[in-house]
Amino acid sequence: MSKLVFAKPSKIKKVRKLLPSLAVVAIYLALPIMGLSGFWIDVLTRVNIFLLITLSLDLYSGTTLYLNLGVPFTVGASAYAIALLNRYLGIPVEYAILPSAAISAVLSFAIFIPSLRVRGAYFSILSLLLPIILAGLVTSQPFSLYLGGEGGISYPPLFFSYARTLPARERLFFLSASYFYISAAVAIVAYVICYKVAYSDFGFMMRSIGQDELLAEASGIDTFRVKLVGFTASSFLSAVAGALYAAMRPPVTADVFIPANTLVPSLTAVILGGMGTVVGPAIANHLTLITYEVLWGVLGRWRIILYMCLLIVLVLLRPQGFVFYLYLRLKRAVSTKISRLFEGA
Amino acid sequence: MGKLLICDNVTKRFGGLVAVNRVSVEVSRGELLGLIGPNGSGKTTLVNLISGVLAPDEGRVLFEGRDITKLKPHERVALGISRIFQGMRVYPYLPVYYNVELSARSVFKDAKLARSKTIWALTTTKLLAETLELPANLTPYKIKMVELARALVTNPKLVLLDEPFAGLSPEEVSEVIEIVRKLNGNGLTFIIVEHKLRYLMKIVGRVVVLNEGRKIFDGAPSEAVNNEEVSRVYFGVV
Amino acid sequence: MEEFKYILIFGLLHSLTYLVFSLGFSLIFGVARLPNLSYGALYVFAGYATYIFLTQLGLDFSLAVIASTLLTATTSFAVGEFTIKPAMKFPVSVFITTMAVAYIFEEFFRIQMGLRPVTLPLYSGTTTVMGVPVSNHWLLVGLVSLLMVLALLLFLFKTSIGRAVRAVAESWEESMRLGINPLKVLRVTFLLSGVYAALTGILLTPLKALTPGSGWTPLFTAFAVVVMGGIGNVLGTVIASLIYGFTEQLVTYMLGGGIARVVPLVLIVLVLVFRPHGLFGRGE
Repeated sequence: MSKLVFAKPSKIKKVRKLLPSLAVVAIYLALPIMGLSGFWIDVLTRVNIFLLITLSLDLYSGTTLYLNLGVPFTVGASAYAIALLNRYLGIPVEYAILPSAAISAVLSFAIFIPSLRVRGAYFSILSLLLPIILAGLVTSQPFSLYLGGEGGISYPPLFFSYARTLPARERLFFLSASYFYISAAVAIVAYVICYKVAYSDFGFMMRSIGQDELLAEASGIDTFRVKLVGFTASSFLSAVAGALYAAMRPPVTADVFIPANTLVPSLTAVILGGMGTVVGPAIANHLTLITYEVLWGVLGRWRIILYMCLLIVLVLLRPQGFVFYLYLRLKRAVSTKISRLFEGA
Repeated sequence: MGKLLICDNVTKRFGGLVAVNRVSVEVSRGELLGLIGPNGSGKTTLVNLISGVLAPDEGRVLFEGRDITKLKPHERVALGISRIFQGMRVYPYLPVYYNVELSARSVFKDAKLARSKTIWALTTTKLLAETLELPANLTPYKIKMVELARALVTNPKLVLLDEPFAGLSPEEVSEVIEIVRKLNGNGLTFIIVEHKLRYLMKIVGRVVVLNEGRKIFDGAPSEAVNNEEVSRVYFGVV
Repeated sequence: MEEFKYILIFGLLHSLTYLVFSLGFSLIFGVARLPNLSYGALYVFAGYATYIFLTQLGLDFSLAVIASTLLTATTSFAVGEFTIKPAMKFPVSVFITTMAVAYIFEEFFRIQMGLRPVTLPLYSGTTTVMGVPVSNHWLLVGLVSLLMVLALLLFLFKTSIGRAVRAVAESWEESMRLGINPLKVLRVTFLLSGVYAALTGILLTPLKALTPGSGWTPLFTAFAVVVMGGIGNVLGTVIASLIYGFTEQLVTYMLGGGIARVVPLVLIVLVLVFRPHGLFGRGE
């Protein structure tokens, strides 16, 4: 059993304790202006969007320990919702993002209700089956006629109508920079909300379900309601991720339903970072995914195998995740140094 | 309806095994009832039926005259039925404070009230010094106290204790008994399932004896010891 | 009438293959109470192993079958020993580790063998059964599947190890009280389920092309069947695979293959709604 974070971190009395984190965020946000190449801006955008999935997974599965392997379903449903709203109703992607996320969250909610009632592995089982079945549906007759089949559905991406009016050499930079800032803004907001929720009474109720569900139920917690609310909130996050990604990177294909694409990176981050800690998975998300891109040049396809081996070893050796512990130590060291600086001044 | 709790002919089957067979028990307000019987006699199953962890196949459970047979465990907690599980059952990775507060928070919608209730429960069980400890760092006695605090924090009218003395030293048992007696003196009703009869018989006002899912005795502890069937199935075996 | 016979025969044949595959899956699922998500990868592993033995090493077909079955069983044992057993204390981790194993195999074959579908020799020719032409390979598959099901039933109900397997599946604690070592039983199921995955992989690959990712569909079928029949319930698994096979054939015939893919989803959701512990499960 993983050693979940138990205590609410003491209320931050001084803003300066937050300073190191804010500085890191500021540098991160300044990267595109400082002349980072277009390729890496795009990578960071994708990593930002993955942060939403990671947070979603951590918020629900990390606390309740009900492993939601159906994340690709939620991500894919909202991606397809964007594409379909555009194709059949002519709604531009800019306006379709939130409705699509909502549609997908409601769909996930409706489909998972029966399995949330049952304790144990059934939830994970159903969640595992869903995305694969949907991927099969999308690419087979007669659905492929309406859902684009193997080739997927294409449409003009986010802000494209505006970018077209720009001079050609500014166009690409405008698109990748604006995507980066949108994804970063959404990711930061999502992070703050997730952190607040995970360490609220509601968050602790979800943790209690993960640690002893029968006890939680018998000692007064309406476990079904807690799971339902937590699951829907977490689904909405993944749905936003799917909608954002689809809006920025058409076409939408059945690839979004494949766990290797949309689940495994975030799952690795959650395990590596420490389930339910929010901070750990968020850091691990950026670390693992950026390294993953770097490794492409060195290892090529073997990087997946390396990551999977790493995942197995980590799950078996340190289920509590070590990024969070590194973070805590680093934070303590840095904040004592900064407080000394301030006191000296 | 003067009775606090009425189990009306409740039956629970597991496959072919009848764990509880048409058992009727009535509990009055302020009573301290002992529930005893040999292993596998259906004591814990009956407690599960009262607390709502299991639903009976037949029969009804009434609480304060209201039929609660179909209610879920958490709804019963809100009505005033708390329980302690067999063994040490706490959230292993939550500190004592959250172990107790989460239950309060789910019954009382007002966060301030929940917090003050939690502090009261922790004071009653003398846990104030350990509020931030993890259960792993506590003695079995303190863990029992955490469980008791969690049971008390929801303002119960009836508390079900499943083997509360197991794993405790005689001194610790008498401390638990003292707390139970004090709460009982304030009007709280208890049903205690216990193996350690010499402690139990001293404190309860009435015992119900189960054997193979049936109720075979219901009356004063002193009579139970003299009852032939009880001695045969229970004291004879143990 | 012709279609009816067709559905009858192919429904039965499909059900048999699902049954064999699901039984191998439910061995571990029943004993460990946790699914081995790399089971589908073992199916693919056996297919590729046979292919390599045949084409690269030039082994005789029967020899290749035996060698790859043994190899798959050993792999299954290793996977169980290193990724299921150590992770069992914390159920969520078994999902993660076995899924990771599945992806390791999938990526490995993608790198080594490419995405081009691979196939194994087919037992050629057709026989007319009840007026319906059925390929001989399908008949072979049906026959071997039937034998494997009977062998497993004999093993489970007539041998002492088999009885131990059932006892552990029934209750971990009770079996320990009876002097059975559940971990040893678990090892037996690792090996056996490897054999079942291997044989189905070798038998079905000639009928369905083999790609690195083609282990998922059989895995999900097994999942659906086992969950529907009740985890660890042999009779339930038999009936569930019959329901599954016939429904699938019927829906394919009436509404087309695309919609037939939804069948497992709908069945599972229905089962979860009305019988949370499977059609024949007994609950907690």
